[in-house]
Amino acid sequence: MTVIRTGRRSGPNRREERERVSRGEAVLRWVLMLIAVAVVLGPLLWQVTTALKGPGESTAGFPGSLVPSEPTLDNFVTAFTQIPLARYLLNSGGIAALGVVTNLLLATLTGYALARIPFRGRNVYLAALLATAALPFEVILVSTLLVTRNLGLQDTLVGVVLPQAVSITSIFVMRQAFRGIPDELEEAATIDGAGPVRTFLRIMLPNVKGSLAVITVLGFLDSWDHFIWPLVILSSPEKYPVNVGVQYLSGAFSADQRVISAAALVVIVPPLLVYMLMQRHVFSGLAGGALKG
Amino acid sequence: MLLRDRSPAKTAARPALRRHRWYVPLVFVGPVLILQGTFLFTPLVNTFVLSFTDASTVGGGQFVGLDNFATLAGDAGFWAAVGRTFLYMLCTVPVIVTLSTSLAILVNTSLRGSAVIRSLLFSPMVMPLATVAVMFQFVLRSDGLVNQVLGGLHVISRPLPFLSSSNLALVSLMLVTVWKGCALATLISLAALQNVSGELDEAARIDGAGWLRRTWSVTLPQIRGTTVLVGVLTSISVLRIFTEPYVMTGGGPGGSTETIVLYLFEQGVSPGTQAGYASAISLALFVFVLAAAAVTWIVTRGRRA
Repeated sequence: MTVIRTGRRSGPNRREERERVSRGEAVLRWVLMLIAVAVVLGPLLWQVTTALKGPGESTAGFPGSLVPSEPTLDNFVTAFTQIPLARYLLNSGGIAALGVVTNLLLATLTGYALARIPFRGRNVYLAALLATAALPFEVILVSTLLVTRNLGLQDTLVGVVLPQAVSITSIFVMRQAFRGIPDELEEAATIDGAGPVRTFLRIMLPNVKGSLAVITVLGFLDSWDHFIWPLVILSSPEKYPVNVGVQYLSGAFSADQRVISAAALVVIVPPLLVYMLMQRHVFSGLAGGALKG
Repeated sequence: MLLRDRSPAKTAARPALRRHRWYVPLVFVGPVLILQGTFLFTPLVNTFVLSFTDASTVGGGQFVGLDNFATLAGDAGFWAAVGRTFLYMLCTVPVIVTLSTSLAILVNTSLRGSAVIRSLLFSPMVMPLATVAVMFQFVLRSDGLVNQVLGGLHVISRPLPFLSSSNLALVSLMLVTVWKGCALATLISLAALQNVSGELDEAARIDGAGWLRRTWSVTLPQIRGTTVLVGVLTSISVLRIFTEPYVMTGGGPGGSTETIVLYLFEQGVSPGTQAGYASAISLALFVFVLAAAAVTWIVTRGRRA
């Protein structure tokens, strides 16, 4: 997988371009970019101010209402005490942790076999994976529900995790990564007397660290975003992951908008943090992967 | 068995490297095979089988031939959902493709600080869609942000019923899809733009071509493959639209935002509902997705040839 770093260019090219941008163009670009950012961030900032508003304050009335007049953190406290937000976060955390571990482990094993172990039926399996990569989950939603229910996994966190325990994308990412390791490296290890397990752990894995990071982060974000499957397989609201829980609360009871806004912000923070910390490494890789198919 | 495809000379040169016992690949692939056998391949085959039965989601079912498909062909509710989903696709896909390509061109600059702008613009990509939908439910309410701003600027005299009018509700959902969908699309387009060589652009500049002209005739043709890819990815994700209507309108008002997957969900998920009929709907959805991919594939090939 080619890694394209957003925003990075070769040195001379970059300098040249910076000189070429006229003052007028720079101003125009900045104005347009700020408009775009306002459209993207506006709804979020409004949620923040709503979440900070006191109970006596109106959430309506432009433009005065955009800034809370009696800011308070009570809504966040209420979100954790009056509604089971902590419980939901715990569920999501558990689902995400399990999902990330299974995805890492299984994608690494399968990707390695597909890249470096010739076995009978490998191409058939590869073709089956490619074919099903385009299959929308919704198509098999009802049948997957039946299978999971028959296994007695309905309304369990394991039932939430297992059907999406490994993503085909992750398998392909790992396959690409292992394919990129030169044969000579493996040969050298063998000649030095390393067994297959040692070779795998000491030579192979350290060489695919970057890809492991990519599928860890993507696995987490993916799991945090899952909605339709947990909604379908879980019947007890106390087992809901956080984004299913928040929509359930906002729909089931006409709850206080300030509290729901606070809860929604709490749900969004973990993936945003991961994104902020990892974007340089991961999303450039994601874009590269998407381009290379 | 394992070294079959290697020439003897090569095998000799590479000592015992890939001589694995028969069970070695199985250890590596086995767990995933079991999982996918259970949760991917079996459900896929089962979807085909069920679509020819009258099974309910609690079990049972007799073979009924093509009955489900006959019913489906005459199901006005289903076709309304199909029409609505395609309308949704027709409206959002061109907007997302145009907007994201423009945004990518806009932020493809080395102006100081533009890297921060870029990461802010991409951030909706990682937000959970369901939570985004909950937030936009408030944003679009009669006393929500959009009505406040429009009212405050005296564009409208009374609040627009974004989610409670059957004419406006679908458009409102489209707004959310565009808001969220543009982030990933812009990222992909930007990655393509950064791989475009500056030489052609330079040549055009020397020939006296203006910025607009260069963007249109030099830059855009070079990323056309990516633009089409963005179109395909977006089309497929819009065919699968579920979260926005489920969270924000529940398919209402009056069924005006019911999409294919929402219809599928209603027919096939609650206990006692029709698994057979829902499977037929699933297959129809699959056909639509394949068709969308095929159409775009043909279009691309035609252009490249």
